[in-house]
Order: sequence, then structure tokens, then C-alpha cells
Amino acid sequence: MTKTALIIIIFLAAIAAGILVGPAPLESQILQLRIWRVVLGVFAGGVLAFCGCLLQGLFGNPLVEPYTLGSASGAALGASVGILIFGAINPALAFLGSLGVGFFVYVVARIEGGILRDRLILAGVVMSFLCSSLVMIIMVMGGRELYEVLYLLMGYLGTIIDATNRTMIIALIVVSLVLAALLYRFHRELDIISQGTETAASLGINIQRFSLILFFSSALLVGMTVSIVGAIGFVGLIVPHVSRLLFGPKHRFNLAASFILGATFLLFADMLSRTITVYELPVGVVTSLVGVPFFIYLYRK
Amino acid sequence: MLVSTRKAILSAGLLVLCLASCAQDEKKSHYRIVSLSPAMTEILFSIGAGDKIVGVTTFCDFPEETRNITKVGDFSHPSIERIIGLKPDLVIVNLPEQSRVKRELEKMNVRTFVSSPASLSELYSELSALGAELGLQKTADSLVSYIKDNLQAEVSSEPKRVYVEISPRPLVTIGSATFLNDLIHMAGGVNIFADLDKDYPVVGQEAVITRDPDIIIVLHPEDITGRTGWQNVRAIKDGRVRTDLDPDHLMRPGPRLVRGFKQLKAAIND
Repeated sequence: MTKTALIIIIFLAAIAAGILVGPAPLESQILQLRIWRVVLGVFAGGVLAFCGCLLQGLFGNPLVEPYTLGSASGAALGASVGILIFGAINPALAFLGSLGVGFFVYVVARIEGGILRDRLILAGVVMSFLCSSLVMIIMVMGGRELYEVLYLLMGYLGTIIDATNRTMIIALIVVSLVLAALLYRFHRELDIISQGTETAASLGINIQRFSLILFFSSALLVGMTVSIVGAIGFVGLIVPHVSRLLFGPKHRFNLAASFILGATFLLFADMLSRTITVYELPVGVVTSLVGVPFFIYLYRK
Repeated sequence: MLVSTRKAILSAGLLVLCLASCAQDEKKSHYRIVSLSPAMTEILFSIGAGDKIVGVTTFCDFPEETRNITKVGDFSHPSIERIIGLKPDLVIVNLPEQSRVKRELEKMNVRTFVSSPASLSELYSELSALGAELGLQKTADSLVSYIKDNLQAEVSSEPKRVYVEISPRPLVTIGSATFLNDLIHMAGGVNIFADLDKDYPVVGQEAVITRDPDIIIVLHPEDITGRTGWQNVRAIKDGRVRTDLDPDHLMRPGPRLVRGFKQLKAAIND
């Protein structure tokens, strides 16, 4: 109970910091921008960490996350293609990228009656490399799109909101939050599956179908996140570990805590990214800079 | 018998080779230039050396004639092999972006002409040096005086604050290390990001809003007037957002600067 209170207090502090701290003095125009940044930060950080937690539980592998499974890179590739062709990110292409890469990874890792977990990561990493080279081609071919693709690859919350994208962003946020809430209902099944697939099968869970649904739903969620804020690394990997350390293996607490902690982490990272230099850094730079030492510390402990 | 046949074949072969190389000499009779700088390509055409250009980058898109000239790659990664294959007498390189290309070419004893004007006076001296190099001193000097005469600094007691937006996502603007920054000052304005000692820095929306520009010059096709949080920026409230300026006129230190400067002056002072 105290732990729950603690993470909620820190979460509220992160929201307050996201609104109050920044390079400009707070006035009504700046306030509008900061509120948007906080909304995007809560959404992206929460959803990415939630997906990481879900996938780690589903595949029983601590290294699984949207990035290592390739769906983030696939979405980034789709989004970059959109930038090159339409001059703007096209969510449909981002979904196509994340689902397409997800499908390939799934096919490679699938065996009779289940999934080879080691092969899953291998296929994901290989596909990420492939996507990176394709994105590189786009960056070389594009002219002024180069910066946009670069910020897409590292993630950025300070994007401009106007009539052309406001409705789309709100719609994507609502849809992905609803999808996440639906997936949350599977927390019991996830608990059972992470105990071992045989137990789960004996309890009547159709593992094949269950993992298919969860895997592709999370790929879709990642696609939505990437098409709004770009591909942000490390949130999906480290946050579920922290959440497990605090709340144990039960997914009922774990998934919810991952969402809140992921949002908190991304809000603090974004606050740093817009204040430590006069320039605007991509937020992924900060999540990696903070995330890597934190991760090493966790594992040395 | 056999030996003499061989000799005959050999000498015939030599003759063919000689003829081929003579034909090539014929082609090479005029001076061959590869220009890796879009601004310099424009300058070469305007001083009457356009017919000497045998290779350009994909960024060299003005004047129309550049369309039919062999492309050797883009501005930042031109292909050394393609350049060498054109057998140039002179390659015009842009520094600092093409310093690697320059080193490679010099290793192969290809003459290079460096272009990296950081100011107008540097542009003028580069132009006369190029004229001397090509034996076109007269036309080069008249181009210099044409630019000089038309780019006269405005003196403004209260310079207008100007924000230039190169790209919207993320926001890329110009710092003090650009030609355009100087042009804005000469046209009676001040770049709101002149304190950033960079060429094209990425800035935040908050920074633009707090610096509250009087005039916004948009160099990309997107509409910026409906942005959340920007409603009270002076330039947007006063309707002083200019989208009609051509970035090529403003950012290429070449003959079209004159037109760009006129547009800029009008945008800032009208």
C-alpha cells in the first residue's frame, strides 16, 4: 500500500515538474505546450512500459520489449516512408511497419505448438537491423526530411500540435488507452503463462491464440506510439523490471505499476531533454543516458 | 612469318589505341570543371563558364541547364569515382562539408578550388579568385560589383526581430553561422536566434514563443498559423508570417542573393 502511494506521489510530482520546469517562464501559451507534452509523455511512457511488461510476462524473457522484438523499428520504418512520400507521418504506414515486422518475427520464432523464445529475440534484433538500413536509405534520399527522421528514431515529445494532427493524436491516444485497458484484463492468464506454458495449457488456455492476440495487440500499440512521438527506447525494457522489483510477479499490479512508472520516467526524461541544453534533444537520448546506468545498477544489486 | 604477323597485330593495336586517345584529347580540348557546390554552379553559369561544367551534384538545380549535366552524387556524399571518371581539370569543393572529398582528390592530383564563404567579403574575394583561375576576371568582377551594388545594408534604429523556420518537425532555424543571418541584419532585422553559434540549430517551441518574433519567415510548405500555443506570438497576431520567400535565393551565396535580399528587405520593412 505504501509503495502504491509512493509511486503515485512520484507520478504526480513528475506531472507537476513537466508543467512547471522548462526553458521559458510559465504563461498561458507555454502552459498549453507543456500540458500537451505531459499528455504525450504519460501516454507514450505508460503504453511502452505496459507493452514491455506484457511481452516480458508472455514470453518469460527479461530482454523482450517493443524494441528488441523489432516492432518499434518496423513502425519507425513505416513512419519514415510516410515522411518521404507524404511529407508527414502516416499512422497507417507505421502500423503496417510494426505489424509487418511483428508478423515476420512471429513466423520465424513459431514452432509446432508454441514459440521458441530465444529465436524471438534473435529474429527481432535481425529485423531491427534490416529496418535501420532501410531507414538509412530514406535518410540519404530525403533532403530536409533528414532531421524529422532522426528525431523520429530517437523520439520527441515537443512536436507541433495544430489542426492537421490534433484530432488524429487524440484519437490514437484514446484508442490505445482503450486497447491497453482491454489487454489489462488478461492479467490472470499472464500470471499463469509466466508460471510455465504447460500449466497454462492444462488449465485450458489456448496459448497459441492467446500469444497471437497479445503479441499483435502490443505491436499495434507500439505502432500508435511511434506514429505520435517516435521510437523511444529503454522505457519498455527497464520500467517493467523496476515494477517487478517493487510489486512482485503478479501482473495485476505489475502492468498497472509499469504504466505509471513508465509515464513518470518519460516525463522526467523529457523535462531533462528540454532543459539541459539550449537546443531540444530527442527524449530517447535522455532515456538511454539515464536508463543504461540505472539498468546496470539494478543488475549489480 | 609468325613473328611478323604478331608485329602487325601489335602495331595495328597500337594505332587503334593512339587514335582513341587522340579522339579523347580532342574532347578534352576545353577546360573541364566539376562543381560540388550549388551556389558555385550558379556562379559559373553567370560568369560565362557554364559550358565548362561536366559534373554537378544532385543539389545543383539552377539554372535549367544543370539538368543535363552528369550528377556525381549528392552534396554531402559525392562519389569520388564518378568525379575522377569525368577527368576534371578543376573540382570546386565546399568546405567544411566536403573536406574528405577534397583530401581524396588532392591525393590523386586533381586540382581543387575551395568555396566556403562565411561572409559577403569572403564571397567577393572567392569570386575574383575563381575568375583569375578560369581567365574570366572581367565577368567575375562585374558579378562582384552587381552583388555589392545591390546588397547595401539598411540602417535601422529599431531592428525587427525575425524568426526563420527551415523545417517544422523538429523546429530547425538558423543560428549566427549562416549567410542568411547576416542578410537579415543587413535588411534591417535581427535573427532571434543569433545568439546560437551554429548554422542550423534545432530549437524548442517554448524558445520561439518567449523570443516573440515580429516577423516569421517560413521556408517550408507547411502552414504555421494554427499551432497550439502560438496564438499570441506577435508575428502571428499581426499577420506577419511570410511564406513566399524562396530558400534558394536566401541560402545560396550566389547571384540570386540579390533577388533574395530584395524580398527579405520587403518582408522585414513593409
